[in-house]
Amino acid sequence: MTTPVEIARGIESQLTAPLYGLDPKERHDCLLALLKKELAYACDRNPRFRNYVEHWPVDFQTADTIADLPYLPVGTFKTNPSLALVDANEIKRTLTSSATTGQVPSRVVLDGETAKRMTKGVTTIIKDFIGPARRPYLVIDTPENLRTQDEVGARGAAIQGLGSFATEVICCLRSDSEGNASIDLEKLLDCTAKWKQTEVLAYGFTYVIWTQLVQPLDRQGITLNAPNVRVLHSGGWKRLEREAVTKDAFIEGVASVFGCSTDRVIDFYGMVENVGVVYPDCEHGNKHVPAFAEVVVRDPLTLAPVAAGQKGLVQVCSALPTSFPGFLVLTEDMAEITNYDNCPCGRRGTSFRFAGRVPKAEVRGCGNLETTRHHPGQGNGLHE
Amino acid sequence: MNDLMLTEAVDSPREISCAAERLREVVQQNDISPQKILEIFEQWAAALDDRELRDVPGVVFLRLWLRRGTLEPILLRELGPDYLNAGWREDGHARLRAVPLGVVGHWPAGNIEIQPVLSLTCALLGGNGCLVRVPSDLREITQQIMEKLQEVDQSSLLTERTLLASFDHSRSDLQEAMARAVDGAMIWGGAEAVSQIRKLPFPHWARVTAFGPRLSVAAMDAETWCDEAERSSWCRRLARDVWQFEQRACSSPQTLFLECRAGCDPDKFVKDLMQAFQDESRLHPRRQIDPALTSGICLSRALWLLENTENRAMFPASPEWTILLGKGNEIPKPTQGRTLSVLLTDDLFKVISKFDGTVQTLGLAVKSAQREEEIALAAGRKGVDRVVKLGRMHLFSSPWDGTDLIRPMVRLVRHVRSQD
Repeated sequence: MTTPVEIARGIESQLTAPLYGLDPKERHDCLLALLKKELAYACDRNPRFRNYVEHWPVDFQTADTIADLPYLPVGTFKTNPSLALVDANEIKRTLTSSATTGQVPSRVVLDGETAKRMTKGVTTIIKDFIGPARRPYLVIDTPENLRTQDEVGARGAAIQGLGSFATEVICCLRSDSEGNASIDLEKLLDCTAKWKQTEVLAYGFTYVIWTQLVQPLDRQGITLNAPNVRVLHSGGWKRLEREAVTKDAFIEGVASVFGCSTDRVIDFYGMVENVGVVYPDCEHGNKHVPAFAEVVVRDPLTLAPVAAGQKGLVQVCSALPTSFPGFLVLTEDMAEITNYDNCPCGRRGTSFRFAGRVPKAEVRGCGNLETTRHHPGQGNGLHE
Repeated sequence: MNDLMLTEAVDSPREISCAAERLREVVQQNDISPQKILEIFEQWAAALDDRELRDVPGVVFLRLWLRRGTLEPILLRELGPDYLNAGWREDGHARLRAVPLGVVGHWPAGNIEIQPVLSLTCALLGGNGCLVRVPSDLREITQQIMEKLQEVDQSSLLTERTLLASFDHSRSDLQEAMARAVDGAMIWGGAEAVSQIRKLPFPHWARVTAFGPRLSVAAMDAETWCDEAERSSWCRRLARDVWQFEQRACSSPQTLFLECRAGCDPDKFVKDLMQAFQDESRLHPRRQIDPALTSGICLSRALWLLENTENRAMFPASPEWTILLGKGNEIPKPTQGRTLSVLLTDDLFKVISKFDGTVQTLGLAVKSAQREEEIALAAGRKGVDRVVKLGRMHLFSSPWDGTDLIRPMVRLVRHVRSQD
């Protein structure tokens, strides 16, 4: 039987391997072997998870590819109690996803080891894109999201995940008594003036940057004159799509307000369930998979991996978690595989482009019930 | 070619109100006898036996539906023999005669390929004019089917009574114009669609009949599924019911309740059911799928197995089909997309006692006729409108959802002679 120590060694080996430099086949085989050990460990720790894995059409122990391994749909992390591989007393933090109103958020539990690996994973990836230097960190959010708590939302996790790059941290939004955020212009102008000659890191959720920073400053005709800023943003495009803001328009708007070049605005894709992994855009607009992770894009009709150039459902994989079974997660996002190797940026392995959320089914048939006469929960609990 | 019949992309409320007026004039000025309608329908059924239409789901059934042998008994039951002869029926010292409502608006659901046509045939049999909103995905198929009517309806008796309108469901101005213009409505669809259409500004005299949303279940007693000689054929029938319409129809079985008794091994049944699903999959493979349905199927599989370690599931690596096996007496939330929950129960009557008004069809396989009768009555009392043999769950017939199909779209005129 695989011991946690063996798994920890395997993870460390992937974490310290060249981030985007491994031969894809070599990387795949190492990761496959490690993921099999992690699955076996998870089955030992969680009978519910074992029941799922035992019913998978392919025995994971004999699987030849990562794509054959049993993956969990992201919605399974919304269950209560949350899927855990550790005892309650070992849980250090719980991360929650950014569910919109009325939706149930995902909840993933982190023990000390997984939390450390998460920080290391994210830091290693971001370092590859912005360099290792520590610098002033402008958080385009309110200070509430900086607080260290037992339960951290996706925004807080992303903000705090970049904290290791910071020499000092300034939040440029403030909340009023009703919790509405607005820009603290004086503070923002002060710090950008002070940091004018310095390399600065700025981060915010995509729609927060647009609605709370770009639009207000644009309306007032204010440019921050911060040419050395690196603006990282994440968190989905759904709200901006509703306002017909394209990715290009967003990048140009942000660059214009900061007074920097557009290549300094970097979108990254990430989710709390895919712990320790983020996917920033390279200079060619592609997202890359680090040594300790994998991305499989699946044809919705067959669930088989698609060929380069095709779109499908995104499955993310991470070798980092050992506190919850988030190794292989089928998301509700769509992406296009741009290539399985040789992106012109020099990073090796799978590269892809995000293609939006899975569209909600339009056709609703006469068999589509939304209400029953039952009391709440009756007859609805099994397939939520 | 009659321009009224084309599936037009309608863009203004005025187009709809004008078209409705033309339809109303046709209905008021030109009586058409039920016998003539049945004659044209019979020819239409023959014309639909076309290679191009063979793969359209439901067309085989539509051909059967349009036959005189199917429709005449329905007309007889709903409206009586005098209606067939276009005459008055004596009713004590009065006389009764069925006359069309006028213009009937049809709002079919987007999930059943032949539903726009099925819906309009019901209103045409009542002599009405039909204004049909065709969902965009069904526009081409509906057009193909209606072209066959055009071929056989040389005098345009039916086609001049029909307008197929295509517009986006979000165009509330067009939806409202259509509602204002009709004297009756046949609405088919899911909860959201039906409740939105019901809210439209129909005239106070309009008869509005909604079909759906409902769901359906199947049930087998132990005597039937333990019978090895019959088991596989029952499984094939069930698979056919699951496959049709991607399980999105209100008559699609979402759950099978399997009554157990000592000595019967459910594993043997599940083995046969898997084989039937695999065979059906080979015969009717999916050609496309909505990614949201794929996500939903994957999630159902996982949640089922994670919820209870006693639960089991059988499925291939693709989303092609899924069997979720467990125990219980209540209907789980449907997933659709060929995902069948198979729940073991010790008593089918316990299952039926949990039904509310949402169950439309109960597909049955029960050995004892007397017990089946008891089950049918118990189910009827718990809101089930159709109790049918497994394998025939989708057989469209009257009544549907407990409602006649033609009778609601005619008025019965009562005449008491002034000289009597």
